[in-house]
Amino acid sequence: MRMLLDLFERLHPLVGNGGKLKALKPVVEATENFFFAPATVTVDSPHVRDALDLKRFMILVAFALAPCVVASVYFFGLRVLAMILVSYAVGGAIEVLFAIVRKEEINEGFLVTGLIFPLTLPPALPLWAVGVGVAIGVVLGKELFGGTGRNLFNPALVGRCLLAIGYPALMAGSWLAAGEGLTGRLLQYVDASTVNAVTSATPLGAAKHGVFASVGDLFWGNVAGSAGETSAIAIIVGGILLVITRVANWRTVAGVLGSFALLNAVLHQAAPQTFAPVGWNLCAGGLLFGAFFMATDPVTSPVTNGGKWVYAIIIGVVTLLIRSMTGYVEGVMFAILLGNISAPLIDEIVVRLRLRRLAHEG
Amino acid sequence: MRFRGGYNLRVKGRPSAAVEVLPEPDTLYLPLWSRRFKFTEICVKEGERVKAGRVLARDPASFNVPLLAPRGGVVRLKAADGHVVLENVVVAPEEPLSEADGLPHAPDKVVRSGKARHKLLALGAWQFFSDAHTGALPDPSGQPKAVIVSTLRFEPFLARGDVQITKRLVNFTRGLEHIQSLLEYQPIYLVLPQLKSDLADRVREITRGYAWVNIIHVPPRYPFDNPALLARHLKLKHDPKEPVWAVNVDGVLAVDRALTLSRPCTVRLISLGGPAVADPKHMKTIPGYPLRKLLDGRLTDPAVRVLNGGGLTDSPFEQEQLGIGAECVGITVLPELREREFLGFMRPGADRRSYSACFLSALLPLAPLRIDTAMRGERRACVSCGFCEEVCPAGIMPHLIHKYLYRDGLEEAEAARVELCIGCGLCSFVCPSKIELRRQMLDAQAKIRELQAEEVHS
Repeated sequence: MRMLLDLFERLHPLVGNGGKLKALKPVVEATENFFFAPATVTVDSPHVRDALDLKRFMILVAFALAPCVVASVYFFGLRVLAMILVSYAVGGAIEVLFAIVRKEEINEGFLVTGLIFPLTLPPALPLWAVGVGVAIGVVLGKELFGGTGRNLFNPALVGRCLLAIGYPALMAGSWLAAGEGLTGRLLQYVDASTVNAVTSATPLGAAKHGVFASVGDLFWGNVAGSAGETSAIAIIVGGILLVITRVANWRTVAGVLGSFALLNAVLHQAAPQTFAPVGWNLCAGGLLFGAFFMATDPVTSPVTNGGKWVYAIIIGVVTLLIRSMTGYVEGVMFAILLGNISAPLIDEIVVRLRLRRLAHEG
Repeated sequence: MRFRGGYNLRVKGRPSAAVEVLPEPDTLYLPLWSRRFKFTEICVKEGERVKAGRVLARDPASFNVPLLAPRGGVVRLKAADGHVVLENVVVAPEEPLSEADGLPHAPDKVVRSGKARHKLLALGAWQFFSDAHTGALPDPSGQPKAVIVSTLRFEPFLARGDVQITKRLVNFTRGLEHIQSLLEYQPIYLVLPQLKSDLADRVREITRGYAWVNIIHVPPRYPFDNPALLARHLKLKHDPKEPVWAVNVDGVLAVDRALTLSRPCTVRLISLGGPAVADPKHMKTIPGYPLRKLLDGRLTDPAVRVLNGGGLTDSPFEQEQLGIGAECVGITVLPELREREFLGFMRPGADRRSYSACFLSALLPLAPLRIDTAMRGERRACVSCGFCEEVCPAGIMPHLIHKYLYRDGLEEAEAARVELCIGCGLCSFVCPSKIELRRQMLDAQAKIRELQAEEVHS
């Protein structure tokens, strides 16, 4: 430990002003602060600060995703790990590149994007497509806006959306039947060469033809679907951790799921042919994953609590409508992107109302 | 009253109710400045022997507030920069001061209770008062809109109000009566904590007969004791001509001492708290008490930061300051950051406190929690987590104001009511992106006031 710290201290003059490796400063700094808590101390009051920083904030999302990762490796095989690796490598490289060019710090946001992105993809998608997707997502969805904290859209969803539009056949052909039995696909590596043998319709796709997977299967996750979205229980366990630690705001989760379930219940009574039962619909597809892990991204959701409710209800309602009433099989992705784009407007309205009330205070 | 936001930082270092009377010093170092005052007008000569209670210096900018000699001694003006030093300090039996000792005649001002008010100023009791909205010293001859008497101090590691009141309830109520006699018909709001305690019950019992005392209950959470916040909740608007006076228990006791006994008020009950203090408690001391002597042998860490006040709003003692200042309410000692934790952000974190529940400590309310001067993270862009808005007791949106100020939108910040910020520091405390929200908002307030002043002049 001491040796490592000494090494970093010896690097300081090299990356400092006038040093030979000045360009690499963000990389050295980020690595150092990854291993060792930052050496900065408070200057201004408050002289004590909360222990929470963005690293912790972001790593908690990664921790909360662990059950999903385990479930997806179990159901879809070791290749999921390769997808995660590619995503982290390509996306991380882009993040570092932008940091060096901008002479800014490397941002922790990528800890989340790099992991969440592959989990939203069909599990047999070729690795080059994973790399292309994450590159598009990080560059277009985040870096062009100025990096974490300034982006309008969830970067992982931007990447996934453009893959879905750019390579529809590839995406549709990369679904995989979930592994069965004690070991599932834990010991398998299923890639594009074998995918034709195992390709499978997702529950939502099958439901369009009147074939419904059992709710039990949806709950545990042994159905086809995006790598991380199939196991409702794994998502709920991780999601609850996020809500309890307050990294994810409970209002967003409750708003998305609540509005979805409520509208679904009403419409199911009216048109049971078009709208699946509530319990089934809640567990199917990417709704839970989206509600817990993607809609709750603080940067791309409204900052005001009132705004969060509106935003969440938009997502819940639009998801249901796209899913049940359009040619698209799943609507979560579009619904969240729509929510993202309306977030600034929602915030603007809520903020104006708040400021009007505040105007006469004090 | 309904409050919003606020947060109690639960870490070790809160002063206990014990009060230690410090041993008498040989030499006193009285700083010629304090939080609000600059005692620029020196009233004694080098080598002069003065009695206790003698005016050593005044602040002409603040209604001539005096700096009183807490003990008798020999004056040294050049012994330490910015201090009046008293050598060969003696504890003489205290006597009421006469005009011959430097208590000047009451000025011929036609103010009700003018004499009493003058006495408060001359005997050092007036400096315990502040304007609830601005924190400045109110005009001793003015009439307030109301008086807020607070028994609370919630800032982490500061003196608890109840310690002072317990043994001196009679003096406290007599002090309240004195304050009432300064007023015409204005209400006195007595602020008590919203919890069951024998002390609060006794205070309630005693003040029941006082029609002019309105008791208000405040949830025991930082910073609900803030005078500006209380004034706002009482719907008392800021009006420079009719300020709201705010005073704490120590001020009421000083009023009683000045007006009942005609004696100078130089004793201060301060707190010594913070995680680096071996035995956090209260101390009975006097201005000028040597800081080094006070801290000697009481600290647990070799490297510490000593704050002149509480941990969330106050600053470290200036390096040249040698003795306790005239306005000191407490001293907070924080350990400096010692070692950089290996992979700190991935650890369970049973030993660190957070507003969020992102560490294991959230499940262990009794865990020994570490706190020091570490920033505990790197400066990042705002991620709109909304924590600052949640804890803000003033009901403003620090994240929004930060974004406005980031693009030089001072007018927008003004429209977002940046001036409602009371500077409690909670937003900066909770911010995971480590943005200096408090500093930015206070700077914006100063800039706005500056512009307003320019407008008046032009």
